[in-house]
This record gives sequence, C-alpha cells and structure tokens, in this order.
Amino acid sequence: MMKDSQAFDHRPDPELGAALRAALDPKDDQKAFVARVMAQYERALDRATVPTIDVLASWFRPGIAAAAAALIVGLLFGRTVLAPAPASIDAAMALVDGPGLAALVTASDPPDASVVFSSLVDER
Amino acid sequence: MLPDFPPPPQPPAGAARMGSSEEDKGLVTKALAGDRDAFGVLVERYAAQARRVARGVLGDPDDADDAAQDGFLSALVKLGQYDTRRPFGPWLMRIVANAATDRRRRRNVRQAEPLDPALVGGGPRPDATAIRSELSGRLRTALGELSERRRTAVVLFDVEGYSHAEIAGILGIPEGTVRSEVFHARRRLRTLLADWKEQA
Repeated sequence: MMKDSQAFDHRPDPELGAALRAALDPKDDQKAFVARVMAQYERALDRATVPTIDVLASWFRPGIAAAAAALIVGLLFGRTVLAPAPASIDAAMALVDGPGLAALVTASDPPDASVVFSSLVDER
Repeated sequence: MLPDFPPPPQPPAGAARMGSSEEDKGLVTKALAGDRDAFGVLVERYAAQARRVARGVLGDPDDADDAAQDGFLSALVKLGQYDTRRPFGPWLMRIVANAATDRRRRRNVRQAEPLDPALVGGGPRPDATAIRSELSGRLRTALGELSERRRTAVVLFDVEGYSHAEIAGILGIPEGTVRSEVFHARRRLRTLLADWKEQA
C-alpha cells in the first residue's frame, strides 16, 4: 500500500504513469487518426472564415421580407382603425332636404348633367 | 507479479513537451500562414497525448477520438489566439479537455467503460497480455469512478508529465486544487495497483 507521502510526491510516478498509459493508449495506428483530423482541415477553416458580409447578406432578404410584411400589416390595421365607419344610405338622405338628392341616388337611369348641376346649386 | 509495462515513449517530465517549444512555435507560425503540412505535424506530435487525455475524461474510446478531433480542429480555428510565449502543449490540452467535457455533457456518456465480465471472474490468466489487459480494464474502471477533474488531473500529471501549474492552467483551477486532486486520485489508483500486486 502506498503511503500518503508518496501520493503527495510532486514528481510523476513512473509505475502508475506507465500503467495508466497502457490503459489509455489507443491500440490502433495514430496515422489513421491524424488522417481523419486532416480530412476535416479545409472544412474547419471554411466554417471559421465565413465573411461578415456574407452573414449580413444572409440576414438581408429575411429582414426585407419581414419589414415589408410589417408595413403591410400596419397599413391594413391603420385603415381599419382610423377610417370613419361608412354611413348608412338613410342617414345620408336624412341630412339633405328636398327630393333632389334622393332622386339622384335611387334613380335607375343615370341623371342628366343639368339635373345634377341644378341640384347642387339648389343645395347652396 | 505485476506485468511489466513498456516504458513510456518519453520521460514523463518531458511528455508535456512533445516537440521542443521552439519547433512548436515554428510550426504554429507556419500553420497560421496557411501551411497545412505544418498543422499536420502538430497533429502527429500531439495525437497520442490528446487521445489519452480525452480517454481519461470520457472513457469510451470512440467518443474520446471524436473529442480529440474536435479539439484539434478547434485549435486550428483558434490558432491566432495562441500566445507563442507559452508552451503549445498545455494550450492544446486545455482545448482537448474542454472538447471532451463538452462531448460528455452533450451525450451524457457513461464515465467508465464496462469491464469485460470474462476478466472480472478471476479465471485463469493465460499470458502476460491478458494480465495487462485485465489490469488496464481495472484501471479504466477505477478512473471512471473518480470525478472528471480528478481523473483528468492525474492523467495529465502522471501520464503526460505536466506540472501542477500547467494543469492548473489547463483545467482552470488553482494549483493547490490540482495537487489535492492528484493526491486523491493517486491514493485510489495506487491502492488498486497494490491490491493487484498482492493478488498476482
């Protein structure tokens, strides 16, 4: 049994080191491992050297699309909220005295221009 | 009788410096300039060490190799951040250890390799290879029972020959904590070794 003083030795223990090395040493040829690492050489560098402008470019199209979608949604929402509610035809008729406007709106045939003009003059 | 393990390829104290520091710096400089072969030499130099450290963290050999590969490729990408005034090995091992830790968290792999039941049974031991294999299996299991930080520390210290200060830098913990972790790991592993000797 090893004494604790040996465990505290500041020098590596050759016997333990050799036993651990034998336990951990890969049994295969290192060359296969080296080849495996080197096969990834270019790929690793490529992944690491993607230019910043490419990253920004990859964000550009989605960004533009998102901004356009947001603009459209905003416009639709604005129109819905801010536009006055359409008045009913009866309400419109009630505001005008006389049969002129009602006749114009409800007529099946297009009115003569002189009728329209006279109607407007009457309103004034 | 404890089987004789082959001696480490290099003295433990120098294991952390696989190549000379100046050679490493030269290779890093070339690799930074786009020299693929220079990076390849660095991978060759540190492949065994990185794989062992990753195994120490993960246990599973396939996961460990994936993590070691992740570590090398991450180091390639971060090579510009390496301070050439410092040794390359600890910088690389920090990246490898982090890659192994990340992989363990992502995949939630088991910390210890399952031990071959045929070896646990204490049956006949036909030859030295089988004896070594059995002891290695027990050591891996014992490593797996240690905390991740503890087993990484003892592997970096006793197998790879890094100093306490270097390990502190690799693991991002105080040097005193490294000493404590190595101490506790050694006590457990040495007990296992001693028991094994008695049995043998």
